[in-house]
Amino acid sequence: MEDRLRDIVKKLLAEGGMEYLIGYCQGAEPLHVVPCFVIRQDDVEKLIWGPLCLQNLSKYVLQARELEGKVGLLVKGCDARAVVELLKQNQIERDKIVVVGVPCQGQVVPAKLEEVLGVPMEEVDGVEDIGEAFLVTIGEERREIPKEQVLREKCFYCKHPTSFEYDFTLGEMVPFSIDADKGEFALVEELEQLPLEERRAFWQKQFERCIRCNACREVCYACYCKECMFDKKMPRWLSKTPFLSDNQLYHLIRAFHLAGRCIDCGECERVCPMRIPLSRLYKKVQKDVAELFGYEAGIELDEVPPLVTFELEDQDPFM
Amino acid sequence: MVLEDRGGDGFEPKILIFACNWCSYAGADLAGVSRLQMPPNSRVIRVMCSARVRPEFVITALSQGLDGVLILGCHPGDCHYSEGNYLTRRRGLFLKNLLEYMGIEPERFQVRWVSASEGAKFADIVEEVTGQLKGLCPNRPPGHSE
Repeated sequence: MEDRLRDIVKKLLAEGGMEYLIGYCQGAEPLHVVPCFVIRQDDVEKLIWGPLCLQNLSKYVLQARELEGKVGLLVKGCDARAVVELLKQNQIERDKIVVVGVPCQGQVVPAKLEEVLGVPMEEVDGVEDIGEAFLVTIGEERREIPKEQVLREKCFYCKHPTSFEYDFTLGEMVPFSIDADKGEFALVEELEQLPLEERRAFWQKQFERCIRCNACREVCYACYCKECMFDKKMPRWLSKTPFLSDNQLYHLIRAFHLAGRCIDCGECERVCPMRIPLSRLYKKVQKDVAELFGYEAGIELDEVPPLVTFELEDQDPFM
Repeated sequence: MVLEDRGGDGFEPKILIFACNWCSYAGADLAGVSRLQMPPNSRVIRVMCSARVRPEFVITALSQGLDGVLILGCHPGDCHYSEGNYLTRRRGLFLKNLLEYMGIEPERFQVRWVSASEGAKFADIVEEVTGQLKGLCPNRPPGHSE
């Protein structure tokens, strides 16, 4: 599949229609995949694809706005939703980007893998997808790890293993499902059933740790405002000190801003240095948007976002 | 005016009311000129439409220690700008669920519809909400200086 990817990219770069392609390549540490920008033909060999290509690259595509030519982008099925949303929100034009879809069969959480293997990631030489399981190479040893032990949370209920919005695709749609025996919103429902005080205690415990490094905002594809309201000095919405109440304000407002835009890429949780389970908050946002307004972000290009429209028959608990 | 005795038996909640210019503010005015008695715990901010109230206003007010926030607008269908309150309804519904999920009591954020002729309803709402909030703990956001 990597060869196919390189062929496509080479051809696209040679034709001159594309200025660069945003893809994945090997980082400084082994098995650490980083986003990379392929500009020259000889860089094409660096491109890789595998179960450790975690990043949602669609954030970088916003740079295409300033370019003359086109920008290529490698997308997994889940990231394709971000591309659809960006198109819908008029952030990019469709003819400025070349979308290369890759069929994905699940992504690995490095921390989970370390735990299962009992070996730090530095010693692992390769992780390969062999359909039913991941084949991990450690020196001479080869071990098969069942997928459900190391998958990312969002992969358990994956609905779009292959990009549905693409110019080129690396393979046909491969159905992917894993027996998760719990629903998409199981973690949210679990929290919803707790009494109010326990829920408050849970979130206070989480947000107490927040250092407001803004990593979740920086990585979020939907946070493309030129000036974020949290950076404004007049009016100042937040104090600089990460007080719990301000942290809560920050995360609540961010959650509200992502209503109908969060596409469940899970990047916020992945980059959080304090390991705050942010996807529990954003899954709730998605759940409410789906349940109250029957809307799912990033699927239909011409669907109107839920909070800028209304139905006369909307629920009205406020009489 | 400073509300004393926060947290004691005589806890007096502070309530922020956003009232729409065309219906609810006139309703509040009517309650006033009709000399209806209501608790003095609320402060009214007049907005041109209930849809003017950004959810950030509500969240910020709660995080800065107000005990409750109330958005009052025209009845659905009566909006001066045709559809502002329909948008408020969606936002309110969504925000209410989100706040509850974060462990904030549902009484602290409410949306109600009050028309210009409903002075009595305005007084009732203020009384009812004040009563509800008196039953709760004072909202002292942890880590925030008073």
